[in-house]
Amino acid sequence: MTLADLKRGQVAIIKDVSSPYIPLKLLEMGCLPGNQARLMMVAPFSDPLYLNINDTHLAIRKETAVHIQIELSNE
Amino acid sequence: MSKQIKVALIGNPNTGKTSVFNSLTGLNQQVGNYPGITVERKAGVCKLPKGVKAHILDLPGTYSLNASSLDESVVIELLLNANDKDYPDVAVVVTDVENLKRNLLLFTQIKDLNIPSILVINMSDRMRKKGISLDIEHLEAELKTKVALTSTRKNEGIDLLKNLISNYKSLSTDACLDISQIESSYFGNLQRIFPNQQLYKLWLVITQDVNFGQVTKKKIDALSDFKVKSDTKLKRLQQKETIKRYQFINAVLKKGKTVDLNAATDLRIKLDRILTHKVWGYVIFFSLLMLIFQAIYDWAQYPMDFIDETFAALSELVKTTLPAGVFTDLIAEGIIPGLGGVVIFIPQIAFLFLFIAILEESGYMSRVVFLMDKLMRRFGLSGKSVVPLISGTACAIPAVMATRNIEGWKERLITILVTPFTTCSARLPVYLIIIALVIPEGSFLGLSYQALMLMFLYLLGFGMAVGSAYILHKVLKIRSKSFFLIEMPDYKVPQFKNVGITVVEKTKAFVFGAGQIILAISIILWFLASYGPGDDFNKAEEIVTENLSSLELSEEELNQRIASYQLEHSYIGIAGRSIEPVIQPLGYDWKIGIAIITSFAAREVFVGTLATIYSVESEEGEPIKEKMRGERNAKLGVPRYNLASGMSLLLFYAFAMQCMSTLAIVKRETNSWKWPMYQLVVMTSIAYLAALIAYQTLI
Amino acid sequence: MNDIIQNILVFTSVGIAVYFLLKKFVIPAKATKSCGHDDCGCH
Repeated sequence: MTLADLKRGQVAIIKDVSSPYIPLKLLEMGCLPGNQARLMMVAPFSDPLYLNINDTHLAIRKETAVHIQIELSNE
Repeated sequence: MSKQIKVALIGNPNTGKTSVFNSLTGLNQQVGNYPGITVERKAGVCKLPKGVKAHILDLPGTYSLNASSLDESVVIELLLNANDKDYPDVAVVVTDVENLKRNLLLFTQIKDLNIPSILVINMSDRMRKKGISLDIEHLEAELKTKVALTSTRKNEGIDLLKNLISNYKSLSTDACLDISQIESSYFGNLQRIFPNQQLYKLWLVITQDVNFGQVTKKKIDALSDFKVKSDTKLKRLQQKETIKRYQFINAVLKKGKTVDLNAATDLRIKLDRILTHKVWGYVIFFSLLMLIFQAIYDWAQYPMDFIDETFAALSELVKTTLPAGVFTDLIAEGIIPGLGGVVIFIPQIAFLFLFIAILEESGYMSRVVFLMDKLMRRFGLSGKSVVPLISGTACAIPAVMATRNIEGWKERLITILVTPFTTCSARLPVYLIIIALVIPEGSFLGLSYQALMLMFLYLLGFGMAVGSAYILHKVLKIRSKSFFLIEMPDYKVPQFKNVGITVVEKTKAFVFGAGQIILAISIILWFLASYGPGDDFNKAEEIVTENLSSLELSEEELNQRIASYQLEHSYIGIAGRSIEPVIQPLGYDWKIGIAIITSFAAREVFVGTLATIYSVESEEGEPIKEKMRGERNAKLGVPRYNLASGMSLLLFYAFAMQCMSTLAIVKRETNSWKWPMYQLVVMTSIAYLAALIAYQTLI
Repeated sequence: MNDIIQNILVFTSVGIAVYFLLKKFVIPAKATKSCGHDDCGCH
């Protein structure tokens, strides 16, 4: 499962970010294995995604989100 | 000699770094550029206790020392080069209490460079509302630093910060992280080869392509051991480094920061739901744009009329009070109308920067980017292109510079290339005066024809920008890694002081930057219009009197004819008439031709040039608009500025690349003359064709 | 006398204006260094 599969309001734990398509900047914003990610909002026309990752609010495109492996969290 | 301390202000974007800078320095600041590049350099002076002066440098906002843009690389270049004249005695790292975790990443990196650092935790006024409490002592002990908890909104903690700066010598320079932990064999090797160098600095040199002191990247690369590390491997190590840093930060914050979620009230979600809504989001955005244009067109009109009349009166006053002669003429006909052409801009520029500053400060701009990204991508642009396209309505120069945070090169290049189509404020004086002359009064659905025409021109600008972006997107064969990442900061009520300082600084920069050029050009123009070669110019009086002796003319009319004849044979008249064949099909005479040429320096010079030319010709000091209204097209027996020639001029200015400074900035930002030259040729051709078609169909 | 002074002032102003414009547009263009071919501009 990847970050792009999340539904609005769902929370997940990030599992793997080793894909070369993930920029270092995103990791520095806190997108690291073990951290929590919540999908806050989806923009009109279903892209980009507005996320809360490790308490940082940011938006990325789906094309990046599909490279971030996650696991749903029961919170 | 009094003591001086050099301070570097560093921090993530959206942490209120600029507010801290403003609180420390007040209006005591200078904005310039770093030598050779166009990154804005903001510096200021702050007086500390005991007569100590602190020189404060506000570095560009950056998320980490791993630079991904020109702005960010300024920070790392400075911090690695101890010989730089700006190299700080102490680094003040500004963080936002709500985003402390992420903001501390940069702090640990700076600590690891062994620079004495102070941690500013800003926006403390929001702690209670968000249920946050901090254990300052714990943070200071774990991070080996001193903390200043500040609120620029309530002006709290600034004195504490000043005290900490003056006592910077007592700060610890210990690192937060032992970098060799990441991969002991690799870093152990590195240290063996460069025993006298600090490891983290070496690491930055390897990953960042920067140099410091005697160790350069080439030197490291030359040693075979380190060459073998491929980019992917380096990236993996950087990833490991980031994870290590967050582990450290999480451990520190576990005890240092607690959040009581029950106390937190979240306005953000409610606002986001409306502002990024698929219908209301766009409605609100476009209503805001309408409001901005209304302000520029309508509200700015009153001060502008006042300025126009004041300068006309001033010119008249100079003529009557100073001793008659050529220099007096220069002041009254060259300098004053020229300056008036700049000053008249101030209200509009100020309004524009006011709105843009408010949108940025409030956090709304990020929502616009989020809302527009998918739409803009269809045209080969990025959501982040919206910011340059909107600030392009003020001036294309800052707009082209604002493209720097667009990550993909192709999207960025397209944005740079199409931004000059948006209606910048320099076009406004041209539009306003032509519209006032040629568009009839009257209204449609409560909106005046003139306002509608202006709106049409703005839409035309945006339409051309987006349309040509689409074509470029299809035509340009550039492969570039594109990714998109934007922080969505929390909403804040804009601080009056910050907005005020931005408006004053930007307006000042614009007026003085453009003002000097316009002043110089108007002096030269006046000279060229007032002097000429040969008998035609110097004996104009005799020639005209003789030629027209058969006509019974009043003295006033005769003088007018002489002045016109002289102007036609002045240097500028000769130059103008030689290009007349090119512009005649567009409905212009040589005077307009001269104005078009000079306005290549900056579009607003158009009005100033015509003001100068008509002033030389006529005696009375009436506003420029009235002078233009009186101009006639002798051949056709109609006013010079009629619907056909007016529309032709409007379209010409809507499309033409009439701005040297923009070309220069595009050259710098794209690093080649190729792109600005394309812009110049293509845009000017479109402008000429559009103007030609408009004039020939309307005449 | 007045005429001569005024003429001198005019020519000085024009001279200063020309010098200023040349300095502004001609000289910096030559001073700009080339910064390689990467996307990120001068270092």
